[in-house]
Amino acid sequence: MGNASILLVDNRKAIIESFRKSFSEIEVKHTLFSAANENEAWSMLDGSQKLSPVPKIILIDVNRTKNKGIQFLNAIRNHTDLKSILVFVITDSETEINKAAALNLNIAGYIPMSFESQTLNSFVSVLNEYWNIIEFSSQK
Amino acid sequence: MNQKLVNILLVEDDEVDVMNVKRAFSKNNIMNTLFVAGNGVEALEMLENHIIPLPKIIILDINMPKMNGIEFLKIMRENEKLKNISVFVMTTSNEDSDKINAYNLNVAGYILKPLSFEKFLTSVATLKNFWQLCEL
Repeated sequence: MGNASILLVDNRKAIIESFRKSFSEIEVKHTLFSAANENEAWSMLDGSQKLSPVPKIILIDVNRTKNKGIQFLNAIRNHTDLKSILVFVITDSETEINKAAALNLNIAGYIPMSFESQTLNSFVSVLNEYWNIIEFSSQK
Repeated sequence: MNQKLVNILLVEDDEVDVMNVKRAFSKNNIMNTLFVAGNGVEALEMLENHIIPLPKIIILDINMPKMNGIEFLKIMRENEKLKNISVFVMTTSNEDSDKINAYNLNVAGYILKPLSFEKFLTSVATLKNFWQLCEL
């Protein structure tokens, strides 16, 4: 257990706001950061906006941005300090074009989701309970 | 939704812990087929020699004789057919080095075995909900 930072990567402001609201309503204790795209996310992981400590969890929809999401995950998996980050793919896309590629990168979960508020709350609640039973390694 | 249930492999040397997992599965109505290996060597043999159908989930202890969980995980991740299986560590080891090694080998979660069976039941219930979310 313990606190972890979570980085949500999504170019839809409405989705990010929905998650913030859901995290607040469910009283998720982990801090939520957001990035509008993979470049900004990378900057927050290993660039000019680097978060400290580095987030332990990433939430991303790899089906939205052609193959940028997969390239981003590939880069994470090839980075010594970032490769251990838990990645949860959350997607409302019906065409799961990048599902196989994501599964090949040892993601923690591939989660088809709806972002409507009531349903989102139930998804976030399950994820939150899961994050509360797992251990994280020491801060970096 | 009617999903076909995936196979689960438990890699655990302690017979009491194996029984606890089976009890917790039963009480949580987890109907997936559960296979058991007593250590990493046995688990690899079952997987590589097709003695069991390929599981989608492995529940993995760390401290085991012959081959521990981390050693097993390293070999598994280098095997094309096995490397994408979701692994959930379930262990009494609270060592940071074990957590670091496990997450570097991309486990989906690292869970400390609770001391009470009641808490263990709750953890397994949470796992079940998470697996359903991932459509596992």
